Amino acid sequence: MTTTTTSGPEALLSHLHSADGSATFSYAGYTIVGAVNGPIEAQRRDEIPEEAVVDVVVRPAAGVGGTRERHLEGLLQSTLRQIILVTNFPRSLIQITLQVTVAPENEYVNTKVVQANTNLPILPALIQTAVLTLMSAAIPLTATLASVVIAATTEDGSNREIINPTAREIEKSRSLHVFAFTSHGDLILTQSEGEFTMQEWEDMLASAQRQCCPSTSGDVNMGDDAASGADLGTFTRSVMEAKIASDLYWK
Amino acid sequence: MATQADKVYVLPGDEINPALIPSHPKHPLRLGPGLRHVPPSDLFPTTAGQLVTDRRKNLIWVESNGGRYIPAVGDLVIGTIHHGAADFFYVTLSDYTSNATLPQLAFEMASKKNRPQLHSGDLVYARTHGPRAGVRVAKHRKGRGPGPLSEGMLYSISLGMARRLLMRKSAEEGKVVVLDELGAAGLAFETAVGRNGKMWVNSKDIKTVLVVGRAVTETDEKSLTVEQQKKLVRRLVKEMA
Amino acid sequence: MPREAEPSQNEKDFILKAVREGHRLDGRALDQFRQLDLKFGEQYGVADVTLGKTRILAKVTAEVTVPYTDRPFDGIFTITTELSPMASPAFEVNRPTETEVLLSRLLEKTVRRSNALDTESLCLVAGQKCWSIRVDLHVLSHDGNLIDASCLAVVAALRHFRKPDTGMEGDTLTVYTPAEREPVPLSWLHSPFCITFSFFGSISVGEDGEEKDIWLLDTTLLEEQLRVSSCTISMNKHGEICQVAKPGGAPVEAVTVVQCSSLALQKVKDLSDFVDQKLAEDSKHRNKGGLLAELSADNAR
Repeated sequence: MTTTTTSGPEALLSHLHSADGSATFSYAGYTIVGAVNGPIEAQRRDEIPEEAVVDVVVRPAAGVGGTRERHLEGLLQSTLRQIILVTNFPRSLIQITLQVTVAPENEYVNTKVVQANTNLPILPALIQTAVLTLMSAAIPLTATLASVVIAATTEDGSNREIINPTAREIEKSRSLHVFAFTSHGDLILTQSEGEFTMQEWEDMLASAQRQCCPSTSGDVNMGDDAASGADLGTFTRSVMEAKIASDLYWK
Repeated sequence: MATQADKVYVLPGDEINPALIPSHPKHPLRLGPGLRHVPPSDLFPTTAGQLVTDRRKNLIWVESNGGRYIPAVGDLVIGTIHHGAADFFYVTLSDYTSNATLPQLAFEMASKKNRPQLHSGDLVYARTHGPRAGVRVAKHRKGRGPGPLSEGMLYSISLGMARRLLMRKSAEEGKVVVLDELGAAGLAFETAVGRNGKMWVNSKDIKTVLVVGRAVTETDEKSLTVEQQKKLVRRLVKEMA
Repeated sequence: MPREAEPSQNEKDFILKAVREGHRLDGRALDQFRQLDLKFGEQYGVADVTLGKTRILAKVTAEVTVPYTDRPFDGIFTITTELSPMASPAFEVNRPTETEVLLSRLLEKTVRRSNALDTESLCLVAGQKCWSIRVDLHVLSHDGNLIDASCLAVVAALRHFRKPDTGMEGDTLTVYTPAEREPVPLSWLHSPFCITFSFFGSISVGEDGEEKDIWLLDTTLLEEQLRVSSCTISMNKHGEICQVAKPGGAPVEAVTVVQCSSLALQKVKDLSDFVDQKLAEDSKHRNKGGLLAELSADNAR
């Protein structure tokens, strides 16, 4: 009933009727419902003369959003702006709402409303939901995104990287990193916290790249890495293809 | 990329196999929705969908269903009059978007002295014109011509369904036969379809309008095949009697 | 500030005409509910309600906190309804609309003020420690009748919820983890449900021109935009009315309200049975899972 990192990602597309695009995405113990409305009319005070405004709202499963949500919104907003063709829709608004419905709970702390002390582990699930939702709403994008969390731990004196760590592993880790890449293989977002050396970071960047964009980093060692976590890029493609096929059943 | 023999599905930012891009000796290549040209010669999809090409007309586009209506020049749309001004009507094409303008003199037989009398909340069938979705009334090929739509009921349908209904051969190409079947079953009704995902239905009989509306929305929501559509029409007509 | 979608005159005229003749757009009877579905989450206290195209998720959480100084023997119980732009761009973050205020007010009166949850049972140490139970309501898709669906979601989620077991030894309070002791359900007294009637003016029936109000149950968003007034009756399956709200709008005959309340009882009984049945199914399913989970936990060790 808690973190089941081993279970593969699952997604449901365009299932909410009132939004222009929607998706529910479950991965690594998180379930997030996303909805996109847009391009719609922007408020006068917000509008940008030659570009669309991208508005991201992140809402926690329990309680009202606080600084943690505002921080995530800021990161998502600046990342998504880069892949949405904002210049296509001047003076309009693209509104993305991400509602967390299930977050992995730490079984050992249950008298408090669980607010994880770190923001990073949820980022990949949020990014993935946002991209699926934008595609469901047919908002023009330059690329899709794939992202991963990596924790660095020290066990018995030796350093180890854990891809998609569980809540317990995060607690014990020395540092935690999130990397996001576009489908062209470019690094678009990186967030780190904890203690680490430059060399470690570079190693982790390399393994994140292998994880997120297998096609661009010379897919020689696909075999041993594929087992360490589901490839979100391939997953996104298969989900979208199934959706398009059912939409265009009449073609 | 291709899952089936001739169906190519693309995601935003994918590379398009150059062999799939049509080349024609005379016509220039024309890009439809869902594609972006990056100078000098790169072509990228911007939406997820099926890549469709027409080699004879040298066309390429990405077909998808979903999202909000984005106005394009020449679309037939059904709008709601929001308010009128001295020379224009402001028309709502979809919820929460800026209004389009519709010149009062664009109506057939309209003159400075004989202006169309339309009020807030009335429906108009019109063609989009100009870059920022100015609306202008123009002539229409078949069915109901552009102009005010009085009485009847307005239904919301998906953009894909609206495109299918507007196809010249909607039964063969779009695989939608509900309207033909309903007509064949002896129902007398009138429809107008707007590319902005709206369908207007009118008839003397309220029940007929309800049946037509339900038949089309159900076909749309449940993705019915031609056979299922025929069955649905038979059931609805029977219920009505 | 985005404009709320307003239906065209054609739609208004048509729907009113159809309703007067006893027809609805989706072919339902005037007093018929849409397809209702209720799913519980993996975790305790999560209820996902689908009513036609309206979808609502309720999540219950509990934490130990200090009781209010003026009520030292009571626990804290709050219901939060915040409508996000997900349901409609007309809903803005941190700016409650009338819909939202009305919804939270009605839920407050129906569930909290009717003492459905025994707040005294939430007290752990008088004046010092108590449970704070919080329900967060998320509207994922809005196609009318938010009130009835939300109330059902809140009640179902609270009845599904289990709070960690606690024990007192001398002066020390221990909160047990689920692994140590099975969590316990809340002390639940009765299950109120809301039934909303939407009025569409009156028609004359019979020879003597007697006026009769017409009303619909479980309205869609479009129907809600066109109604002239509404009345929400909250009661439990024993027929005890918790509250009646008719927030303004066109007047209706007092007799109509009486008729409505007897119909409401019938609908409430249906909803109550529905929730009971779903809860029973879930606990049956969970029991099976519980045994398996224990076995696998042993393996892990």
